[in-house]
Amino acid sequence: MTQTNITWIEGAIVENEIHMSIVELSQAASTSEELIMAWVTEGVLSPTGSSPQDWRFGGDSLSRTKTAVRLSRDLEINTPGLALALQLLDQISDLRAQLVRIASSKKD
Amino acid sequence: MKFKDYYETLGVARGATEADIKSAYRKLARKYHPDVNKEKDAEERFKEVGEAYAVLKDTEKRAAYDQMGSNWKSGQDFTPPPNWNEGFEFSDGGFGGGGYEGDQSEFFESLFGRGKHRQGGRSGHSRQDQGMHFKGQDHHAKILIDLADAYNGAKRTIALHMPTLDASGHVITQERKLDVSIPKGIKAGQNLRLSGQGGPGMGEGGAGDLYLEIDFHPNPIYRVDGKDVYLDLPLAPWEVALGTTVKVPTPAGTTLELTIPANTIAGRKMRLKGKGIPSKEPGDLYVVTIIATPPADTDAQKEAYQAFEKAFEFNPRTHLKG
Repeated sequence: MTQTNITWIEGAIVENEIHMSIVELSQAASTSEELIMAWVTEGVLSPTGSSPQDWRFGGDSLSRTKTAVRLSRDLEINTPGLALALQLLDQISDLRAQLVRIASSKKD
Repeated sequence: MKFKDYYETLGVARGATEADIKSAYRKLARKYHPDVNKEKDAEERFKEVGEAYAVLKDTEKRAAYDQMGSNWKSGQDFTPPPNWNEGFEFSDGGFGGGGYEGDQSEFFESLFGRGKHRQGGRSGHSRQDQGMHFKGQDHHAKILIDLADAYNGAKRTIALHMPTLDASGHVITQERKLDVSIPKGIKAGQNLRLSGQGGPGMGEGGAGDLYLEIDFHPNPIYRVDGKDVYLDLPLAPWEVALGTTVKVPTPAGTTLELTIPANTIAGRKMRLKGKGIPSKEPGDLYVVTIIATPPADTDAQKEAYQAFEKAFEFNPRTHLKG
């Protein structure tokens, strides 16, 4: 664990290249599969596939799930509240991005 | 070490009820949660609030904290009085939780000891797997790279600090160096998965993975929005009026020649297609013109501005009707 590696470790960009199963996602985000299922039902996460065994979560799901884990743990919000919070955070981040673009075109 | 006034942190009176403390904490936790609040000091504030709540919500810890007296001021130099907590029984051996990352201030540790650390940094709960074989834990870390690394790809040696328990049960911080290849085209907020670089597995289960969350070092020249990059380009008044050709540096380290047409206005956004962060569909580099006016210091410079004024009948404030 502490030794220095000599070869350069190649990683995969999660958002571009990886589709996770529910087992992988729950391991990567340190949360239970039950909670992930509840979040899918609530529309917080939208995997492809018809049943939990076939579900494949796109790359953006990891950071979204990690945010969901932190918010539900730190603020003790329930699943519908979490869904609303994430939706509002998405809106805020879209607005922030728009602000960057507007600030860039209005600068004197 | 500085004293911390936990009541002040939560903004409650010393006599506050449990309900008051809880609602004050909830309000501040929502306000400063780093997923919600993007201010730079939000995470720091969130930890402070979590630490204050961990003490004040716990009857035992609150009583022990209170008996140090109310004369202490926040920021005052502080050493815990000897045997300050004598006669207090802590049912959980110290740490009460509530923090974002689970790390506490030196002040907190001097009073209540260092808590059970969380394995693997940001990852929260440890997995209670059944059976003899299971995959090691996935670990997470955040790293900062240069924007140029996303353009060109890079090889970087990164140092990760991992708290672990030594043989006698003390928390020590292990440093681990990793030589990582940063792929070209990675963007802020994305995660790089390094297979098998997480916690060791049990039995025949393989090691967990290490996820590196990428962010860019703040850059004085470029702003990044997803895969698009913005650059402010200052131009002199005569350059925008008459047109010119200027050299523009790209984050990749190359230089582009950019033609500024005559009568370009400030705030004009010129798109250099495909010169943003590279990928299958690369982002764009936007050059935003700003006009820089030189100060008139010498007589010659003042005359030049006066000649300028005479040559134009120009009122930039017509729309103000003033």
